[in-house]
Amino acid sequence: MKIAKIAPWVAGGLALVGVGVSAFQPDRLRGFDVGGFSRLPILEGGRVKPVDTLARNSLLMIRGQQSFRYQDRTVGADEWLLDVLFRPQVADAQPIFVINDPDVLGLIGLRQTADRYFSFRQLAPHIGEIQRQAQAAHPIDAKERSRFQSAIVNLFDRVYLYHRLKNSVQLEGEALASEVAGAQERGAAERHLALLEMAQFRPLPPLAGARPDAWRSTGEALRSSAAGGTVDPGLASLARVGWAYSFQEPAEFNQAVVELTALTARTNPAAREQADHEMLFNRAQPFYMGMVIYILALLTIFASWLWKPEILRPAAFGLLIAGATVQTGGLVSRILLQGRPPVTNLYSSAVFVGWAAVILSIVLERMYRRGFGTAVGAAAGFASLLVAHHLAGDGDTMEMMRAVLDSNFWLATHVVAITIGYSGTFLAGAIAISYVLRRQFAPRLDPASTKTLVSMTYGIVAFSLLFSFVGTVLGGIWADQSWGRFWGWDPKENGALLIVLWNAIILHARFGGFAKERGFMAMAIFGNVITSLSWFGVNMLGVGLHSYGFMDKAFWALAVFIGVQFLLMGLCLLPRQFWKPRAARAVEGEEVPAKA
Amino acid sequence: MAKPTKYPLWNALASMQLTIALLALLMVLVFLCTLAQVDLGTFGAVAVYMRSFVVWWHVPGTAYSIPVLPGGVTVGMVLTLNLVAQYLRIPFNWNNFGLWLVHLGLILFVVGEFVSGAFQVDSQMAIEEGQTVNFVEGKDPELAVVDVTDPTQDEVYGIGQSTLAREGTVELPGTPVSIKVHQFVRNADLANRRPGDPPSPATRGVGTAVTVRPLPPVSRDDDVNRTTAFVEPIAGGRSYGVWLVSTVLGAPQSFTHEGRTYVLSMRPRRQYLPYSITLKKFSHDVYAGTDIPKNFSSLVRLYNPSRGEDRDVLIYMNQPLRYDGKAFYQASFGKNDTLSVLQVVENPGWLLPYVSCILVTAGLVYHFGTRLRRSLRRRDAAQAAAQHPAAQEA
Repeated sequence: MKIAKIAPWVAGGLALVGVGVSAFQPDRLRGFDVGGFSRLPILEGGRVKPVDTLARNSLLMIRGQQSFRYQDRTVGADEWLLDVLFRPQVADAQPIFVINDPDVLGLIGLRQTADRYFSFRQLAPHIGEIQRQAQAAHPIDAKERSRFQSAIVNLFDRVYLYHRLKNSVQLEGEALASEVAGAQERGAAERHLALLEMAQFRPLPPLAGARPDAWRSTGEALRSSAAGGTVDPGLASLARVGWAYSFQEPAEFNQAVVELTALTARTNPAAREQADHEMLFNRAQPFYMGMVIYILALLTIFASWLWKPEILRPAAFGLLIAGATVQTGGLVSRILLQGRPPVTNLYSSAVFVGWAAVILSIVLERMYRRGFGTAVGAAAGFASLLVAHHLAGDGDTMEMMRAVLDSNFWLATHVVAITIGYSGTFLAGAIAISYVLRRQFAPRLDPASTKTLVSMTYGIVAFSLLFSFVGTVLGGIWADQSWGRFWGWDPKENGALLIVLWNAIILHARFGGFAKERGFMAMAIFGNVITSLSWFGVNMLGVGLHSYGFMDKAFWALAVFIGVQFLLMGLCLLPRQFWKPRAARAVEGEEVPAKA
Repeated sequence: MAKPTKYPLWNALASMQLTIALLALLMVLVFLCTLAQVDLGTFGAVAVYMRSFVVWWHVPGTAYSIPVLPGGVTVGMVLTLNLVAQYLRIPFNWNNFGLWLVHLGLILFVVGEFVSGAFQVDSQMAIEEGQTVNFVEGKDPELAVVDVTDPTQDEVYGIGQSTLAREGTVELPGTPVSIKVHQFVRNADLANRRPGDPPSPATRGVGTAVTVRPLPPVSRDDDVNRTTAFVEPIAGGRSYGVWLVSTVLGAPQSFTHEGRTYVLSMRPRRQYLPYSITLKKFSHDVYAGTDIPKNFSSLVRLYNPSRGEDRDVLIYMNQPLRYDGKAFYQASFGKNDTLSVLQVVENPGWLLPYVSCILVTAGLVYHFGTRLRRSLRRRDAAQAAAQHPAAQEA
């Protein structure tokens, strides 16, 4: 009894400690203060971020991972970026370009092997051909490209990003230190211009009195000092960072990093704090850790059905709470970092859908205390964070909002309400799925639990109807405010309308008595199909104002998901004689006396 | 639910089976309409599935089309009747108050959509920096005959495309001029005449050197019909020749009758306003170091002599100018950021969805809130009942 009381606290506490420990990573690497360098704020993609974010997102785009194994050790994104910037000869040898398409491999004369990763040095002899093929495919609309064309354009974009990174702080082979010293007069102006044009990011903070977004690339700073302007205070320190890293002088490197840190802290304290916060967010990886904790919670609740339910069920609930805490922390961090409501793109909608489903499940578990809430919540949290994880490969997940979407009020109301509607509809579907699986696989089936599942589903469908309706109409009102039409039959609007209609149909069918238990649950599962189409499916059409996240890779994942839902619906609607025998008997045992 | 009455048709109309069937039909229509947008564009798909009584399916390889589904208009009208019939049968008491509010809100919503559908007028206003404009332009073209004799004031006569399509003779009121429409083409391709081409019907103006090839009209949102016609101005029993007019012809063409000069042009339909708008400055900001747009805004001067108004207005994203029953939205831009395009919408029913949204939300919150409270009470009572005998046994 006592163990059951402390089980959730122990389980949840341990999970949180685990997150804390994993967030702590050493700054020093071979004596270099790599962490200090990665914390430096820069401007890229229109916003201030730490070097660490640039490193992680670039490596994620190029390699699909945030770190990689090379020569029997793990190379992190920060170390990789330092090599790209200041020791390109080292970075060029590292296998970072992932190539899966056999035709692209064939084009560059490589055989498909177990290892799908190639270094820049391996690609270098074929760059001209890659560029020629990519340019031929480029004018074709992204939707209409063949698999090869998509793959070659994608590879070229990654090679180009790599090339720009290499030439962002200094031109490859031309040390910034010698540029600053003005050692080589000839061709300096051309080199500075090339630097200015190639720079992927801007490392030098705005000068005193300049606009807060007037960050400068090294090329820009070199040009203005060559033209007789003031010498940028950060330029010399940055040059020393590069020099010290390329000659592997840790003491010198660390000293220069301290100077740069002090400079931004003095001139741009806000950017400095933002970068520190984001660095902490990056290292804590709240969404990845949340995913791990949710899967632990799910395994614990599965185990509880076989062994010691009085301890394991509360422990699983404790883990769910821990996962929700970590995910909430991550969400709040994102909101603070971006200065925006939680949902701004497809990635953040996935994170938020999962979060809302988990919170709803916790409420359900507190209300009914049967473990279903925990199971469904953990599954929903895990699944949505997994989806989010796969949506993150396109680069910065905190990109700037386009002008038309730049309205915090509507993002906070319309988008959040719609997303909670998605969340609720998925959760109702998930509970209905657990109803089906339980009926097929549970060793025993008590009618009271079945009744609980049905009433949970009913409540959640009602909740979803409320939020999806409000969200849809608020979207109409936003549209009316922004471009003067309430409803434009835009695919995303239609998708939202479909969810509203479907939830209304479920409730009317239940209310009118046309759908009994099985039919009602099957309808709830169909809600998953409608929601997934409305959430992702319409983005694949590439039509309309909301086509902010065009995706082709996810098409098959979506098709499989929908196929599985139809299978589950079929299973749900099976007449009683096909159920697991004991389960059917248990239900009959309940209904026979009721009829008598 | 209320008891059925003795009128079977009324019962059928008010039945919940009908509600479910109609909602399901609406879902099918919305789904098909969404898919069709890839090929037909939003406007075309909506015309086929939503703004129609019946959805037709063209049997491939034949000239026949067969009706396959009721269209959005039919479903919407029957659903409205069903909604009203059901609404009238909801007994008015506190228990049903939430449902009552929800369905009242939905009826208002439908009314609002009908008002928008019937009365909403969309047009555009394109202004270059420094230019003053006192008209809005619709999507459909018109043949404008402008008397430019008086340098201070133009007299404008517009002939709409439905009139042109009848290919008859149109008298211009208050003038001796009438226009005979020889040929009207909704969409056409214009090319310079080559030696083998058939002779042009035009006898005057640039049209004599142009060959017109009719094309099927387009409906996709980003496509524009190049509407073209051959017209013959007749005044005082005298013909001024057959002219080619088209929305793609830029050069002005004019004829003079008894000292008055008339300019002929095919152009987007204009509606003149009793006030004018001057574009002082168009701004297009991007985020630093990117080409992601941060903001579009137009600083305009609104001048209305009849009301003594003369003031600056800043129109930007999510912030339209609402004036005199019209709303002006920042829609587009061009000419190297010196041209601003405003979307102009006139919709007398724009407030109804707001009211409806509030009613439905309040109704749903009330209804589900009372249901939840009741079910929680029932559960607590059941738990108390379950625990009580257990306590006795222990």
